[in-house]
Amino acid sequence: MGNHASVNRRLSVFALLLVLLVSALGIRLVDYQIVRADEIRAESLESRKETRTLTALRGDIRDANGEVLARTVFRYDINAAPKNVGPVIRYMDGNRTEISVEAAADELARVLGLAPEEVLSKLAGESAYSNLAKKVDATVYNQIRELDIPWIYWDRFAYRLYPNGAVAGNVLGFVSSDGTPLAGLERQYNTCLAGVDGQETYERSAEGVRIPTSNVVTQPTQDGGNLNLSIDSNLQFFAQQVLAKSVSDLNAEWGSAIVVEVKTGRILAAAEAPTVDPNDPGASKAQDRGSRIMQFAFEPGSIMKSLSTAMVLDSKSATIYETVNSPDRLQLKYGESIKDSFNHEPFQLTLAGVLRYSSNTGMYSFGMRVDEKTRFNYLQKFGFGKTTDLNFEGESSGILRPYDEWQYADRYTHLFGQGVAVTPLQMAFAYQALANEGVRLSPSLVDSCVTPSGEVIYSPERKSTRVISEEAANMNLQLMEKVVEFGGVGKLAGIPGYRVAGKTGTAEIREGAGYGERFAISFFGVAPVEDPRFVVGVTIYKPVGETNSVKATGPFRSIMQQALKHYRVPPSTSKPRDDIPSNRFGKTGE
Amino acid sequence: MKLMMLSANEAKKLRPGLLTGLLLVMGIILVQLVQLGLNMALTQDAYYLSKLSGEKRQLATEVQIIQEQVDSLASPQNLADAANRLGMVANPSSVLIDIVNDKIYGVPRPAQAQSSAASANLVANSAMVSVSEFNPATVASAQVETSVAESALNGSQVTLVAGQIPASPTR
Repeated sequence: MGNHASVNRRLSVFALLLVLLVSALGIRLVDYQIVRADEIRAESLESRKETRTLTALRGDIRDANGEVLARTVFRYDINAAPKNVGPVIRYMDGNRTEISVEAAADELARVLGLAPEEVLSKLAGESAYSNLAKKVDATVYNQIRELDIPWIYWDRFAYRLYPNGAVAGNVLGFVSSDGTPLAGLERQYNTCLAGVDGQETYERSAEGVRIPTSNVVTQPTQDGGNLNLSIDSNLQFFAQQVLAKSVSDLNAEWGSAIVVEVKTGRILAAAEAPTVDPNDPGASKAQDRGSRIMQFAFEPGSIMKSLSTAMVLDSKSATIYETVNSPDRLQLKYGESIKDSFNHEPFQLTLAGVLRYSSNTGMYSFGMRVDEKTRFNYLQKFGFGKTTDLNFEGESSGILRPYDEWQYADRYTHLFGQGVAVTPLQMAFAYQALANEGVRLSPSLVDSCVTPSGEVIYSPERKSTRVISEEAANMNLQLMEKVVEFGGVGKLAGIPGYRVAGKTGTAEIREGAGYGERFAISFFGVAPVEDPRFVVGVTIYKPVGETNSVKATGPFRSIMQQALKHYRVPPSTSKPRDDIPSNRFGKTGE
Repeated sequence: MKLMMLSANEAKKLRPGLLTGLLLVMGIILVQLVQLGLNMALTQDAYYLSKLSGEKRQLATEVQIIQEQVDSLASPQNLADAANRLGMVANPSSVLIDIVNDKIYGVPRPAQAQSSAASANLVANSAMVSVSEFNPATVASAQVETSVAESALNGSQVTLVAGQIPASPTR
């Protein structure tokens, strides 16, 4: 019995200890598994977890035909860890080969286009980072990977590529090396183009190896939208080629050409020379990196006369048959005088004749029939003196002083394009109004912004302004047609098979208190007259030795002809009206 | 707790059945094996997924390389240079055919070699990584292969009557 009691007691003590032990473990287990479970799990995860930014891709910029003008690609910085540099072991057909550091450096140098000594110097030392090459493309990156050198690693980053280089570069703008938009549409439409970077976490093993399937996307990426432009890159390139040649031949400071679709206000080409290759903006001078078409205002000269005749017609201040006496110099009563660009006997000019001979004196006589306030209102409606709805960054409003501040020559010089400063964009859209039955449309460079899911998040608001009556606009176009039909210089703008209307301009350029010896020569025109499709405006600034606009008509003709051909516009089937008097005697014909 | 004295028979009855124990152990082993199998399959798939992700990245890189080459070859700068090298001439006059009304608009004019020769590229493009390699010699050799088809076409050349599209025999 005593033995049994002793066994029972020992068993009871053992059972009690067992219970205590199990209880202790149980409490610990509950503590670990339930009470502090989240904390421990988080602590454990933290020790293994790595966070990585997922780069969102900036959207493409595309032309009117969907051709990519700007896209995001990847570039690579190739780096080495000098502290790990050593011979490279490779297995070829099962045979182990050891490549010396010098031989590996030689291979790297060949792929990266560097001198072997340069690579070797970058591999020296005990640091964990040494950059061998920056911004290499995917071809080089692949070649580097194939070398399979364990102490070489790379950083991949998004890079903005402009496949067509400087085609529309002045409009596209560019981004900095870190992807920040700095100019042009890249900057203006950044909210459309920029994506939102995402974030993911993944786990690493004790050896530092990434654990497959451990990645968790904590913030999904949102790629940027695509910006679809109205620019036609083929026409744009053609215009840039023409301009580049003209500017070079004429030793001019710059040239610009704009092509506008009359019925929509879409800008099909906004070409400039010199311009900027957005892939390498640093290669261009600072003043060539923007867009002069939108940002540069100048006194336009005689291309303004088409608008002045339109004011006269619309206000019914004269008919197309009335003539005015137009001497080559007109003495004004307060001591000033107006002079035509060439000496001539007094002409009897109609409105068409004023345009055909580009007579300042004739334009003065007709234009002064319209009161100052009315003329100012017309100029405002044509879009001068304020920026357009394009809202292009840095866009100039030009200069148009209020009519009640006009003094002396201000009262009339705007009739032939002095005393008022306009951008090529403003002038092109004033001509667009003439061609569009008197209605000026708001210019547009962007057709839409579309998200990767296909949602259209931006499309331009098309505003229109009635400037002059339909009747006056159509008649004015036919007056302008006489410039191309009979004008000495304007004739050179003619395109076989098409009815073309336009106006020459040889504008003096202000220097200090007076005007300098070099000019801004222009030709702005419309075709076909019977059903206007395009406005083309060409300006060449400060060509050397040019005192008339002959050298602007050639580029105009080439670009307009290309636009008509490119868009399959049928040649005109009607003839210019032959009952509009335009010669120096106020009669019809030559 | 209480300890009791039992006979051998009674103890035998209380002993768990061997079969039950065996089934239990087998069951546990089976569950472990299934779990092991599933883990292996999952791990295998994870590595396969990782391999596929790597391949996808590699293919994306290949696509980028090819895309950049296509961009360069298709760029207007390359085409202008190629056209210029080949001595191509642009014809600025356009002649259009209105199929609906059987009309021809415009007057066909031969291109002028001097005035409208394609200009070499004047517009910068530092993104060009590839350029077209053909030249008059390579084009001439390519023409040898097409000469038969061209001569057949020349034989059936249609002469245009002014302002009218010749009636097609197929309609």
